[in-house]
Amino acid sequence: MSPGGTGQATGTDGDMPARDPAGAAALERRYLRLLRCYPPSHRAFHREEMLGVLLATARPGQRTPGLGQAVNLAACGLAIRVRRIPGWLAADAGQDALAVVSLIAPAVVFILLALGWAVNAAAGARVLPRVPVWTPLLPVPVLPFSGESVVVMIAWLAVVVLGLTGRQRTAAKIAFISLTLALLALLFVLVVLIQQVHSFYFNTFPGELLPFLPFGDVPVVLASLAACSLALSPGPRRGLAIAGWRRACLMIAGLSAGFGFPSIVQLADPAAPIWDLAFRLLGVLAIAIAVAVTCVRGPVGRRVAGLAATGLLPSLAVAIPLRVPAVILVPMLVSLLVAVLVWPVAIVSWRGRVRRVAIVSWRGRVRQAVLFVRSDRTYSRGATGPSSDRVHIRRLF
Amino acid sequence: MYIYDMKKRSMQEPTFLILTALAAGPQHGYGIIADAEQISGGVTRLQTGTLYMALDRLRSARLVEPDREEVADGRLRRYYRLTDEGAALLGAETERRRASAAVAAQRLRVRLAGGTA
Repeated sequence: MSPGGTGQATGTDGDMPARDPAGAAALERRYLRLLRCYPPSHRAFHREEMLGVLLATARPGQRTPGLGQAVNLAACGLAIRVRRIPGWLAADAGQDALAVVSLIAPAVVFILLALGWAVNAAAGARVLPRVPVWTPLLPVPVLPFSGESVVVMIAWLAVVVLGLTGRQRTAAKIAFISLTLALLALLFVLVVLIQQVHSFYFNTFPGELLPFLPFGDVPVVLASLAACSLALSPGPRRGLAIAGWRRACLMIAGLSAGFGFPSIVQLADPAAPIWDLAFRLLGVLAIAIAVAVTCVRGPVGRRVAGLAATGLLPSLAVAIPLRVPAVILVPMLVSLLVAVLVWPVAIVSWRGRVRRVAIVSWRGRVRQAVLFVRSDRTYSRGATGPSSDRVHIRRLF
Repeated sequence: MYIYDMKKRSMQEPTFLILTALAAGPQHGYGIIADAEQISGGVTRLQTGTLYMALDRLRSARLVEPDREEVADGRLRRYYRLTDEGAALLGAETERRRASAAVAAQRLRVRLAGGTA
């Protein structure tokens, strides 16, 4: 073992073994394809040298990457991508995207809640002669006009208004409270569902369960997105300055139409087969189209689209061909997972305003998160209007 | 911040091997892989993905930095060198490993003495 002596000596080795040119070209092409797992900035810096190392370590005559090596390359590339998410959000374009999301997401959540309430109200109006109906599930009458969903709606309207009037922190708090209640409701319903999963109830009309959600059927993923973006961005006013009224309204309308597609169809035709697989796939398609059409333009737009597309997660789960109880359970579990993951942000943002940080590395991250919350309490106020420390608003859309 | 965190926990084996490989002088990617295998006595063969993930992390933590570039066989070769912070961290880690190895050796001596006595 002579680690001291190898410093310069190894610079001369690593000569590539002689191979057939066609095989080498094929191997190189396959390696290049694997390197696409890496983020563009990493690729721009490391691609050539990585390719050199990969080809130098290949066996003579090798035409395809080994399975282990392929898995390693893909896993490392994805790991670097994941590691860069906080930096991505802390960068200018990421912060601007979060600001836009903090403007549109609460509004979309409010509209979705209103749509859900309208559907329930319409259903309630049809069954009115039978009210109150006592269900085998819960000892409460079916009251489609019941108070809690209205309260949740008002709460989200307050989030929108507070955000627009510059009270971003209060808005974030209300959003997190609503989210927490929705989380508890999800847990509660999940337990009941699991207990009764074989009951006749689900084989008849699972949609009737949804009105029982004690705190309103909050779209958890979008609500999480709204709450987190309120907590971690320069805020809705900054978002409005970037996107402008017209574009913001377009995004809100588009996303509401996409995510609210089932509710809108149900309003038009109460007998619509919203639990059929084809319909569910159509719903996913509607969201994807809405995100693509309204959000993707420029670097900020792409980031907004990426964030909004996370709202697809539960819908994607719904699109999997499953039996009826699972159709409800899977998206609930997904929503639950998202809400649980969002919790640290809630706790962190509760203590104070959040300042933008340059995140150096993933190991230092948690510590920095705590640090930046306790410092600089003026940043948020300064950055909400166009006349902030970042005066010029770049043309980003 | 990063260094502070790294000091708190033990260094991962690939990181230790890469820093050690760069300790005596700058090396390029393939050289690091070959050297790391030699240092570990043939036990650890770094995968290319693992190496560049570690280099990415070490570079952003300013423990390692690019030294120079060369073209060999029509391919770019980038040499990396250890920064002063990297050397300090490697020194601390070496000291830590030496200390725990010393404790292990001492305990083994005790055991051996107890067994034969």
